[in-house]
Amino acid sequence: MRRTALLSLLILSTLMACKSNVINRVDPASTSDLSGQWNDTDARLVSEEMITDALTKPWLVQHNRNEQKPPVVIVGYVRNETQEHIDTEVITKELERAFVNSGTVSVVASQQERADIRQEREEQQVYASEETTKQMAQELGADYMMIGNISSIVDEAPNRKDLTIFYTVNLEMVNVETNQKVWIGNKKIKKTVRRRNYRG
Amino acid sequence: MFKNNSSYKIKTLIALGAISTLMACRSYVLDDAQGDLKTAFIDGEFNYSADLLSKFGDKDVYKSKDQVLYNLEYGTVLHFAGMYDSSSVLFSNAENQIDNLYSKSISRGVASLLLSDNNLEYDGNEYENIYLNAFKALNYMHLKDYDGALVESRRIAYKMEQLDIRLNGLATVFEKADSTNIANIDLKKVNTQSSAMGRYLSTVLFAKTGKKDDARIEFDRLMRSVFEQDKIRRFYGPEIKDLQDLTDADSYNVLISAFTGISPQMREESFRLFLDDAYVKFSIPEMWLYDTQVSNIRVKANGEEYYIHMLEEMDTVALDVFDAKRPIIYARALARSVLKAAGTSKLTDAAEDKGEGWGILAWLFGFLFQEASEKADLRAWQTMPGQSWMHVINLPEGEHDVTLQYLDAKDRVMFEETKTYNITGNTRLEVFESIYSY
Repeated sequence: MRRTALLSLLILSTLMACKSNVINRVDPASTSDLSGQWNDTDARLVSEEMITDALTKPWLVQHNRNEQKPPVVIVGYVRNETQEHIDTEVITKELERAFVNSGTVSVVASQQERADIRQEREEQQVYASEETTKQMAQELGADYMMIGNISSIVDEAPNRKDLTIFYTVNLEMVNVETNQKVWIGNKKIKKTVRRRNYRG
Repeated sequence: MFKNNSSYKIKTLIALGAISTLMACRSYVLDDAQGDLKTAFIDGEFNYSADLLSKFGDKDVYKSKDQVLYNLEYGTVLHFAGMYDSSSVLFSNAENQIDNLYSKSISRGVASLLLSDNNLEYDGNEYENIYLNAFKALNYMHLKDYDGALVESRRIAYKMEQLDIRLNGLATVFEKADSTNIANIDLKKVNTQSSAMGRYLSTVLFAKTGKKDDARIEFDRLMRSVFEQDKIRRFYGPEIKDLQDLTDADSYNVLISAFTGISPQMREESFRLFLDDAYVKFSIPEMWLYDTQVSNIRVKANGEEYYIHMLEEMDTVALDVFDAKRPIIYARALARSVLKAAGTSKLTDAAEDKGEGWGILAWLFGFLFQEASEKADLRAWQTMPGQSWMHVINLPEGEHDVTLQYLDAKDRVMFEETKTYNITGNTRLEVFESIYSY
């Protein structure tokens, strides 16, 4: 009896000594839901749907037909109106990447990015050699600005066991000159969470 | 056979006594650490408090079951030390941990029933879960991240709405239960159903970000909170006329947020009974409020003086919630004491069959086991301020010195703090935050 107990203790302590963090690299496209909060899978689902929608809707064809050149888009601010701290840049950067790589939409630097670039250009006027200095006032004016918002509705049972979270993401392409909205994309995500009452 | 069995029982008792003594010692270490932290915090030594918490973290003073408490303390200390980003991270950790602790640990529940409530995971009180969002909102406001602050406002509003639903029974309410299947708290006995401080911050934030409807709704709820909290107030609350301009975003550009006092003190009260051969120790926590020395807070700015009113007595809210929990804490302590007394008495009887010496030894170990293991749960958010004061003022464009004076009952200045603000046409909202924990 005593020998068995000692042996068990030895095995247990050996196992505990061997225990270390397990790290695996997984496919970024795989779904992982740990807490029920907004996560990479949600951002990916929204980006995929918005990219497909934005690049296949009539606004793009109409612009190309009228102007005979790809539209120039500036990605504006996507407001987070949820109860979670969501980095909306994860979505907007995916869209920018898709626009640029498609070759059908030109993208110019955003407001925050522009400030640094303008400073660089100003400094070039003083410090760079004449042949490499970039000219002032040659920026490409945007035809459209993409803005949007993410909002959520949370519904929780009074006993807190069950929870439903509904996210709705709206992105809009607004004509900078006329304020006309030429495209509105929307993606809805609904999640249900069931909490366990007890654990070990 | 019987002899072997009784020896086994005696050894079990000795082992149990030793383990529980060790476990109880750990709880006393945490109590001492929390005491040191509170003293440093009251003295306004926020960087030293942060160092203390870092040291406690290294020495594992706060165990895995105390992590919510650790994050609450650390978040508060860093907030007042001006490290707003780090403070928000720690408050977020506390919030997520509170959420995860919805699932109760069966093993810890059993341990709490056999040893003491200190074995339970600290899962935060309802008011703590709301105050942490208020501090986070202030963090984001200091960082001028209004989107972040609004997220916190929405969380405050949502949590209080949920609490309201649970309190007012819009549906059948199955209260949060611990693993002993005894309700932890009867929320219907709590007088304070929402946080006036949280509502105030939300109203300001919604108003300042152009969400007029949300601001109006939060303002109505603020009025209700102020009215509800009148039931438990020790001091005068704000007057309606002081608050009515809150939804008019253009009528102010500086938010004054001051904190006074400190969280209530937790003390242990123990009762010992000798019944025939049995010994019973019964330990319960008690909560005591500190009296703040501050009677009023005066703001001097732009040649004018304003007296700001106490918005929320956070310490009284804590006491109100504790009072609601008291019956169940007492019942659990009593059940545990009786169980321990019965168990040790039975083992002493078994030991006596082996010999009188064994009987005395078993009784002694039973006595030590109860003495060491029966300890009241004194864990509480030590760095939570006692009272929250808020006010908004409007300053014209230009550079201004704003002075905040903490006054005693005789209108003498006990502590003052001055900050300079440069108000421009683009100034949305400046935040003047200050604390005097006496």
